[in-house]
Amino acid sequence: MNGVPLIAYLGLGLLMFTTGVVGVIIRRNPIVIFMCIELMLNAVNLTFLAFARYMPTKAVPGVLAHDANMAGQMMVIFVMAVAAAEVAVGLGIIMAIFRLRNNVDIDEMNLLRG
Amino acid sequence: MANPQGSAFGHVCTDSKFQIPNSKLARGGDAMNPNLIWWVLYLPVLGFLTQALLGGRILKSAGPKQGRKILGILAMLPIALAFVVGCVVFSQLAGLPRDARHGVTELFSWISIAGLNIPFEFLVDPLSMTMVLIITGIGGLIHLYATGYMAEEKDYPRFFTYLNLFIAAMLILVLGNNLLMMFVGWEGVGLCSYLLIGFWYRDVANAKAANKAFIVNRIGDWGFSLGIFLLAVVVGSQPGVVESSHGRILSFDTIFANIVPALQANPGLATAIALLLFVGACGKSAQFPLYLWLPDAMAGPTPVSALIHAATMVTSGVVLLNRMHVIFELSPVASAIVACVGAFTALFAALVAFGQTDIKKVLAYSTVSQLGFMFVACGAGAYWVGMFHVTTHAFFKALLFLGSGAVIHAMAHNQDMRNYGNLRKYLPITFATMFIGFIAIAGLSIPGVFGFAGYYSKEAIIGSGLANNFATIDGVNLGYYAGWTALFVALLTAFYMTRMTWLTFFGHEERWRKIPAGAHAHGEEHHAVEEESLHAESFGPDTHNFYVDHAHVDDHDEHHDLDKDHTPREVSPSMWVPLVALAFLSIFGGWFLAQGGRFEHWLEPSSGPTLIGKISQEPEHLPYLSLVGWSAVAAFGGLILGILVYMNGLPKKEGWEERKWNPFRRWAGHQFGFDSAMVNASVQGGGDLSRVAWRFFDVKIIDGIVNGAGYVAGFFGKLFHRAQTGYVRAYALVMLAGVVGVLGWFAYAAILSGGGR
Repeated sequence: MNGVPLIAYLGLGLLMFTTGVVGVIIRRNPIVIFMCIELMLNAVNLTFLAFARYMPTKAVPGVLAHDANMAGQMMVIFVMAVAAAEVAVGLGIIMAIFRLRNNVDIDEMNLLRG
Repeated sequence: MANPQGSAFGHVCTDSKFQIPNSKLARGGDAMNPNLIWWVLYLPVLGFLTQALLGGRILKSAGPKQGRKILGILAMLPIALAFVVGCVVFSQLAGLPRDARHGVTELFSWISIAGLNIPFEFLVDPLSMTMVLIITGIGGLIHLYATGYMAEEKDYPRFFTYLNLFIAAMLILVLGNNLLMMFVGWEGVGLCSYLLIGFWYRDVANAKAANKAFIVNRIGDWGFSLGIFLLAVVVGSQPGVVESSHGRILSFDTIFANIVPALQANPGLATAIALLLFVGACGKSAQFPLYLWLPDAMAGPTPVSALIHAATMVTSGVVLLNRMHVIFELSPVASAIVACVGAFTALFAALVAFGQTDIKKVLAYSTVSQLGFMFVACGAGAYWVGMFHVTTHAFFKALLFLGSGAVIHAMAHNQDMRNYGNLRKYLPITFATMFIGFIAIAGLSIPGVFGFAGYYSKEAIIGSGLANNFATIDGVNLGYYAGWTALFVALLTAFYMTRMTWLTFFGHEERWRKIPAGAHAHGEEHHAVEEESLHAESFGPDTHNFYVDHAHVDDHDEHHDLDKDHTPREVSPSMWVPLVALAFLSIFGGWFLAQGGRFEHWLEPSSGPTLIGKISQEPEHLPYLSLVGWSAVAAFGGLILGILVYMNGLPKKEGWEERKWNPFRRWAGHQFGFDSAMVNASVQGGGDLSRVAWRFFDVKIIDGIVNGAGYVAGFFGKLFHRAQTGYVRAYALVMLAGVVGVLGWFAYAAILSGGGR
């Protein structure tokens, strides 16, 4: 459709997800880590939507193609809702930590070290 | 009791299923109404509930003096009525033809599970009815006596609660028609014995004595319950028995109808069951080595000593042996052991009695010794003779105990015979009755013509030991030797009873008038001293405010302790009337029961041997003399020896200083070290065993397992704790690796299976 093949969407999603993972692992600023997590979630969302759009019409026996396509799109809505909640909680935690320690460097938060 | 109308729910079992081979037992009961027997149980239970629930209220509303009078009557009445009911059933039973004297009545189904059905059932037969008359008759007299003896007791209703409960439990023991009911009664009397020995429980010595009685009895109960289990297994494994008896495998009729072939095929099993039951009998009937508790049980009030520890409870072992005599008949080995243990106990306790200075302790050891006699007879196969001695012993030993209680009462609760002397002058009735009891237990008689109660039964015991060859191990007739031992012990019995009687009642020296200083705290009879000092204390400032009610003490004029001005006074009628009644029984009871073998024929349906042949009481020939001659020699020999030694009052060698006693007497006074050895072995040994178990098993093994589990967890924790860096990115990395791994595995699996194409 429109000449953009499925592989392009998946390639972009892969790029975004990898960027997010690498960001989460190497960055020390929790805000940036959050942004990277959002990047990963949106990579997944992109993949969902691409698959929903390109899904063969009669892929699932007994289920209307229209409905099957809607399932992927609905999943994206869910992911967005969960992401919003997660950000709210996460930012709250970051605020609390900042108030406590005046610092949000992730490498200094290692209370769980064994 | 809700609806005590016996006939309303009892019914007479009439199935004629059981029949012992060659048995004289048969089931009849048409002309008899065994349901009436339930009243014998209901009445003491009713009395028990009255005392327990209303006793305190009556005492409060009627005032201590009046209240005690009412409570005394309320305690006595049920026992007296139960005795009347017992007499009615007894006469109905006696009116039946001999083979029909057997009735079973069921009240309700007590335990009913698959393959086992235990009804709450009573058995009316000569054995149980004999015991019922002893328990309610002698028990009633002792209740009457106790109303006088305990008149100053503050805890009056508690005492009679226990006493009535005891009677009820004892009746269940003797009347129960299955072993489990017998066991219930068995434990019930054990409980009451414990409660009554520790009646004055604020004194540690009494509480310890009660504990000792309870714990030693547990050893016997262990044997008894194992015997029951083994019997249940043997009877229940007989083909068809569970079905045909409707699961009543522990009822006596089922047991005796089915046990004989099984045990004849396996004599070792018979010996095992018999010996286990005998262990139980040893515990309750104070046989060596489980007699330990009985002398200590004298810490209880004297009526208790008379009722429980002389007349009734201690005879339950003999009742058990009579009940289960078929099993003992199947095992000559076990019977020989019974006879030997009995003979040894009789001898041992008689010797120990010589070293006792406490009048109640002498009687306690005498009881142990007489119980040994009963087991000699039971071992020799003459079960009815054992019961005969139970009966006569109940007469004269209750008499002696109650008499000693009267003496103790008159002597300001001092129990040491070294303080007595010349009491016949002050206590004529007590003296006369106790002297009759003395003659009865010593077996003095006009040989062959007339004797008091103990003469007949003791001669029958010695005779049955000497005449039979049933109690045999490997051809050695141990019953015969037990018979000779019993004869010798008869001499000792006369000797130490003479000692007791002469020290107490004869001599011109009134020894309490010159009690040496410190004599009160002397000797090993700390129970007696404790009891005495407590009473002495209660007459003064009663710090416990426990033993005596002050309001009542004030109008009583014998408050002082035993000192040189003490004048003993004869006891009140409520105390000497039972003495006179028991003295009457002691004079004529034995003679009456022995006339023409009356007692033997009466007991034959339930206690007569069914498998072994006739058991004779008259040995055919003895060296030098006949049986009558030998027993006369023993009785009069003991009497003469006793008089020679004690004619002039307390010998110097038995004075207050135990160091001056001869070594034998000193040793005997300490039970030849047996009691302390046993107590040390059990208390000290038990402590050592526990310490070993603690230090080795608990600390090393149990704690080792627990600590080891913790150590293993710690070890792995140490191993892996480096993995927990605490850095978020490390966790994220591991997660990533995991996700990649899982996805990789999915991809790999997908390729293997054809990639979905």
